[in-house]
Amino acid sequence: MKRRKKKKPVQKFRGYMRTKLMALFLILSAALCFLIGRITWIEHKNGAAYEKKVLSMQSYDSKTIPYQRGDIVDRSGTVLATSVAVYNVILDCTVVNDKEEYLEPTLQALTSCFPELKESEIRDIIRTKKDSRYVVLAKKVPYEEVQPFIELQDKVDKKGVKVNPDIKGVWFEKEYQREYPYNSLAASVIGFTSAGNVGTTGLENYYNSTLNGVNGREYGYLDSDSDFEKTVIAARDGDTIVTSIDVNIQSIVEKKIEEFNKKYKDNYFKDDGSVNTSVIVMNPNNGEILAMADYPFFDLNNPRDLTGIYSESQIEKMSDDDKMNALNELWQNFCVTATYEPGSVQKPFTVAAGLDTGTINDKMTFVCDGGEQFDRWVRCVNKNGHGVETVRKTLMDSCNDAIMQMTYKIGKKNFSTYQANFGFGQKTGIDLPGEPNTSSLIYKEEDMKPVDLATNAFGQNYNCTMIQMASAFSSLINGGTYYQPHVVTRVTDASGNTISTVEPKAVKQTVSQSTSDQIRDYLYSVVSEGTGGTAKVDGYSMGGKTGTAEKLPRKNHKYLVSFMGFAPYENPQLVIYCTVNEPNAKDEAHSYFAQNITREILKEVLPYMNIYPDEKKTGKNKGLDVTGENAQYTGKNDGTASRDGEKKKETE
Amino acid sequence: MSRRERGEKKTTYFDYNLLFIIIFLLCFGLVMLFSTSSYTSANKYGDSAHYLKLQLRNIAVGLIPMYLFAKIDYHFWKKFGLFAYIASILLCVMVMLPIPFLVRSSHGKARWLNLGPLSFQPSELAKLAVIIFLAMLLERILKQLDQFRNVIKVMLMLIPLFVVVAVNNLSTAVIIFAIAGCMLFVASRKVWPFVGIAGAGVGLIAVFTFCVGYRSTRVDAWLHPETAGDAGLQPLMGLYAIGSGKIFGKGLGQSLQKLGNVPEAQNDMIFSIICEELGLFGAVCVILLYVLLLWRMMVIANNAKDLYGALLVSGIMSHMAIQVILNIAVVTNTIPNTGVTLPFISYGGTSLVFLMAEMGLALSVSRGIHLDSIR
Repeated sequence: MKRRKKKKPVQKFRGYMRTKLMALFLILSAALCFLIGRITWIEHKNGAAYEKKVLSMQSYDSKTIPYQRGDIVDRSGTVLATSVAVYNVILDCTVVNDKEEYLEPTLQALTSCFPELKESEIRDIIRTKKDSRYVVLAKKVPYEEVQPFIELQDKVDKKGVKVNPDIKGVWFEKEYQREYPYNSLAASVIGFTSAGNVGTTGLENYYNSTLNGVNGREYGYLDSDSDFEKTVIAARDGDTIVTSIDVNIQSIVEKKIEEFNKKYKDNYFKDDGSVNTSVIVMNPNNGEILAMADYPFFDLNNPRDLTGIYSESQIEKMSDDDKMNALNELWQNFCVTATYEPGSVQKPFTVAAGLDTGTINDKMTFVCDGGEQFDRWVRCVNKNGHGVETVRKTLMDSCNDAIMQMTYKIGKKNFSTYQANFGFGQKTGIDLPGEPNTSSLIYKEEDMKPVDLATNAFGQNYNCTMIQMASAFSSLINGGTYYQPHVVTRVTDASGNTISTVEPKAVKQTVSQSTSDQIRDYLYSVVSEGTGGTAKVDGYSMGGKTGTAEKLPRKNHKYLVSFMGFAPYENPQLVIYCTVNEPNAKDEAHSYFAQNITREILKEVLPYMNIYPDEKKTGKNKGLDVTGENAQYTGKNDGTASRDGEKKKETE
Repeated sequence: MSRRERGEKKTTYFDYNLLFIIIFLLCFGLVMLFSTSSYTSANKYGDSAHYLKLQLRNIAVGLIPMYLFAKIDYHFWKKFGLFAYIASILLCVMVMLPIPFLVRSSHGKARWLNLGPLSFQPSELAKLAVIIFLAMLLERILKQLDQFRNVIKVMLMLIPLFVVVAVNNLSTAVIIFAIAGCMLFVASRKVWPFVGIAGAGVGLIAVFTFCVGYRSTRVDAWLHPETAGDAGLQPLMGLYAIGSGKIFGKGLGQSLQKLGNVPEAQNDMIFSIICEELGLFGAVCVILLYVLLLWRMMVIANNAKDLYGALLVSGIMSHMAIQVILNIAVVTNTIPNTGVTLPFISYGGTSLVFLMAEMGLALSVSRGIHLDSIR
């Protein structure tokens, strides 16, 4: 350095300065080394704890992808219940507030696409909840409303530049909503869901797990190297159940039931046409339910609406408990869950038990003198007695006395065995919820006194359900094979592939073929010449049995009237069982309430099912409507109808 | 200047080592900035590269002064020493006045001056101005500095700037004072008085820190980050990030704390994310890189052609070192939160541009070195 002497003295960086600069460098480096030590110390001392803290703070941005609940369809694929995608409109206020220019375009897009949103309200939300990232503006908006918004947001001009780049902070949350296209059709069979995908009643409840899928998930997780991985697991949609219900038959049935109840509304009391009117139509040859209806109806899309049955003022007076009870009553499926005394529809079963055991035969005759004496007098419909009754005529007249006398021959052992065989006192195992245990509602053989046997034989003093009765009746007329009744025939996956089918389940043989044929023949007579004449559809061979059961307490004279029939005679294709619980009439004790409904239903259902008339038309029941009134001619019902009325009054 | 030209012809020198370290730090900074900010900027702006693009712009802008400072002979700035010092005082005063359109505030403090499309913090300019001013001054009064009272006098000369900067940004004022201290320490023959002054300075800062109102919550957050609530969030989250990084870190881009937990991680707290992603190993590498940078500047200062250049580079070196130390000390919660950026890596416009200008200045000094005089 010294060698390069300069004319102009230039200040040089001197030796001591170098030393001090080196010292400064060392001090600064030492400070940095100290900080390295500090980092090491932090990691050593708290590393594990802090790592846990960090992991625990992660929300993983996990998002549920909802599955679509399976459909419920009828036998031909008509959708009875389905889940429709709807969208919740979510606003992220922090994004909208981020830049002033976002506010107006976003507001405008929102209000123009979703008419239910009010501009001032959104403005309020954006102002008051400015840090909120999740504000639900609208719930369950259909896709048709969401689509224009997304289009608006994504619209690009020719150059591919976004036209509306300032619409920000709005996103949509997909969700499924259960919808029932036919509203009240087969309401108590289908049932409805509540709170997302929880089936509350009917098939929705019974097949809840089949219908439900598995939610998908979009989530991040940490792999073994603590790496953050993002994964999407697609939702597995629920399976669809194919039912044996036929929408057309069901519609006919419900139409007629409604018609009946409309006609009888306020007829005698200021009340509905009946407390319940229920119909089961089933295929006797495989146990499939074709239609199952239960009045009063309710709207599956609005199941908590009571205005259909109660007036506004009545509803206002109700407490929450009252309302819940009323709703539960409304939702229950009378055909499956209600127990009642069936009445004379039991008689064919009693006769079948006799024929099958050989204790009764076609040749036997009984003398009806108006009743039988046990510990009390049990009277027949006809106080004066029917006189001499053959077995056939016993059923045709629905004679209680003759039936009671038959029980002396059949005996309580045979009777109990056959009742059990027919499934009374047992659950049918139908795939619908709420089937009651009726085992305590029938007499056990050992407890059965002669009077119990005698009254049971014509359908009083024991309880059954409609589905028990319809299933047992099916076996009685189909040659004796008892099929387990069922509603669902097939389960398919979301893309329509069949996963499983429900084969007809022949559970047992109830009676022999010959007994079945004999009973069918008797029942044919009941409809063509006996008390079941009102149910006759002119031109069709039919069989059936009426029922008029007096409800407890007997002194109220409340009745549950019914008709149970099949058609055609030779090869029964359908069984129909109709009950009317307390028809709104001065004199309730006539089965023709049920018979009229049955006839009107079959009039339309038989042709629909491609069952051709197999008899000559006789003009019977011509021009009658669902009330049994003749629209064309005045007054006179068919004679059989007025003769009907197997009042089985018991002297208590 | 014919001699110099001749000399350069013979043995031109340019510190490519330093240039390489700077470029490396800038690139590394961009990578870390993108890694740190992509998630939050995607959330906030819908563009994961939002901050990356801005930082690229900042670097592009910064390259211009760096090139100019490197190209222009550093003696040229000697004339502007006093002017720069006075100008920066004026600008710092200006930024305190509520002048619409010209002054922008951030985090409740008026720190920004709008100049057309660009805005900058005059306090950053003040650092550079002080370095140039002091280098010029100290060269002139070198002999007097052997008496410590003259050192004090020089320090007192800086009081006006210190005050105007401190009003808005205490940490920058402290940095300015520390730079001045370091430069005086190098220039003066005295040693122990400096040690005393440094000790007193630290004590003063401690008193100041504990007394000034709005900073006391920061102090609380520093001492008890777990219980200090929102104020303690940033240091605590930074600690979590450092602690969870372990030796080799979670891997580049794998930080969890950057996902919104560490507020504004791309600014002052970026080092915590480096620790989390690259671990202790990465953190040490980064610190060593800075040490290397300092070492190169020490070499340049030692071999500078004249005292003026040497003092300039000493000042730049001190500036660099102090910022790195303060930043990492904040991130590791060794000192209370001060808001000092990590040179070349943190997101930020003004500080980056001025730092790059300083680097240009250092490179310019390196160009004046005669190869045969390197020792």
